[in-house]
Amino acid sequence: METHETLTDRVQHVLADALRVPREEIGPTTEFGDLPQWDSMGHMEVMVSLEKAFQVEITAETITELVSIPAICAHLEARDGA
Amino acid sequence: MAHKLEIRPAVVIPGHLIGQVRAKLAYVDERISGAEIHLDGTLVTLSLRQAVEADGLSVIEQRVQHVVNEMARGAIQPKVEVLEDFSGRPVYYQQDPMQELLARGEVHEEETGMFILGPLVTRLVDFFESRFLMLADEFEAKPYRFPTLISARMLDRVDYFSAFPHSLTFATHLREDLEIINRFAAETEYVDDGLNAPSEFFSRIQALLSPAVCYHLYFSLADHPLPDGKLIATAVGNCFRYESTNLTSLERLWDFTMREVIFVGPKDFVLENRERSRLFMQKIFEEIGLVYHVETANDPFFVGEFRKQAAFQTAFQLKYEIRAALPFKGSTLAVGSYNYHQNFFGRHLNITLPDGEPIHTGCTAFGLERMVYAFLAQFGFDQAKWPAVVREWK
Repeated sequence: METHETLTDRVQHVLADALRVPREEIGPTTEFGDLPQWDSMGHMEVMVSLEKAFQVEITAETITELVSIPAICAHLEARDGA
Repeated sequence: MAHKLEIRPAVVIPGHLIGQVRAKLAYVDERISGAEIHLDGTLVTLSLRQAVEADGLSVIEQRVQHVVNEMARGAIQPKVEVLEDFSGRPVYYQQDPMQELLARGEVHEEETGMFILGPLVTRLVDFFESRFLMLADEFEAKPYRFPTLISARMLDRVDYFSAFPHSLTFATHLREDLEIINRFAAETEYVDDGLNAPSEFFSRIQALLSPAVCYHLYFSLADHPLPDGKLIATAVGNCFRYESTNLTSLERLWDFTMREVIFVGPKDFVLENRERSRLFMQKIFEEIGLVYHVETANDPFFVGEFRKQAAFQTAFQLKYEIRAALPFKGSTLAVGSYNYHQNFFGRHLNITLPDGEPIHTGCTAFGLERMVYAFLAQFGFDQAKWPAVVREWK
C-alpha cells in the first residue's frame, strides 16, 4: 500500500504537469486559487490529469470537492480503502 | 430546391448538449443556413444556402465532426439543480407573439437581429425596468452609465476572445488617410450583403460593441485596491452578441438591452447578495404571475473551451438562469441570470480587497426584450387578462 507521503508526492507531480508549473511550486497543502494557473480552466486540466493518472471519475461532485492536494489525497485514499 | 446535408457524428451527442451543439453549428461554415440534431444525438441535418460540391461537403462534414467531438467527447453530465419552480402557474396564451407584434407594427426588423420596438413593447420594457430598479434600490446600488463601445485591450485581459470569439461584434473606422477617405466616399456602395469597401480601408480593432454590462465596472476598478472593499452598482446598457442563423425574433437579438445589479467585494458578500437578489426577484415574479423556473446553467463558451468551462461553471453553481415558459413551443427562454465569477476579475484585473486578496464579483442580469417577449408569450395581447400590476402601471 502506498504511503500518504508517496501519494501526496505523486499528486503534486500530476498537478505540476497539469498546470505547467515547476514541481516545487506545488506544496502539500496547495489549493485551487493559490496559483494563477489553478483557475477554472486549470482546475479542469487537473481533473483530466487525475482521471488519467488515478482513474478518478470526473463528476459534478469530484469537480467541486477535489480542490486541494489534501482533498485529492483523501479522496484517493478513501476510494482505495487506505 | 432545399439543399440538405446529413451527417452521422462519430461521437453521439448527449441529450443535454443537443441545443448547445446545434447553436454552435451556425458558426461552422457560411454556407450553412440552419442545423437540426435528431433527439437521439446520432444525426445532424444541415440546411445549406446553395448546392455545394463534394469537396465542399467534405470540408463541412469534417468541421461538424470536429465541433461535435470537442463538445461531446467525454462530456461531463451536469447535475442541474432547480432552485425555484413556478412552471405550474396558469398560462393565458398559446400563440407565438412575434406574428402579432409584426402585424401590429409593434416590432420592425431593421436587419437580422436588429429590432425597432413600438409603444406597447416599449411600455412593457419600462415596466420591467421599474421592477429591476426596485431590486437595485433594495441594495442602494450606485447608478452608472457605461459606453456602448468596449476596450479590446481590456477584453483581452479577461480572456474574452478565447471564451466567446464567435459572438464578438467589432467597431472600426476608416484609417486617417485622405486618399482612403476620399475613395471610400466616392466608391462605396452596399452590394449584395455588405459594403464593397476593401478591408485595408479600415483601422485596426481597438474597440468592440459591449457584450455585457458589468465588464465596464470591473475595467474601471482595474489595478487599484477597491475603496471600502465593497461596491454594489447598477446600470442598463445595450449588449451585442452575434448569433448568426440563431438570430430569431425577440428571443435572440444581435443588439439587446440588459439591466444589471453588480456586486463587488469579498466572497461571502457577493454570494449573500446574489442570493438576496434571487429571493427579491422571486416576489416580483410572483406578483406578475410569471411562469418560470430557476436552474443551474453555463455560459455559451465556444467549442475549444466549452467542455471544461461549462462543466466547471455548472459544478460550482456559478450561474443560475431564470427560464420563462414559452407556452406556444413548449419550451423555456432564459430571461435573466444570477452570476458569481469567483475572483476571476479580481485576479485578471488586479483589483484587491484591503487585505490584498483579489476581489470577488457577481451580478444579477436581465434581458429586457426577452422579458417582454416571454411575458407576451404567456399573457398575450388582451390587456384585460394581464396581471393588474402590469395593466395598471403608469
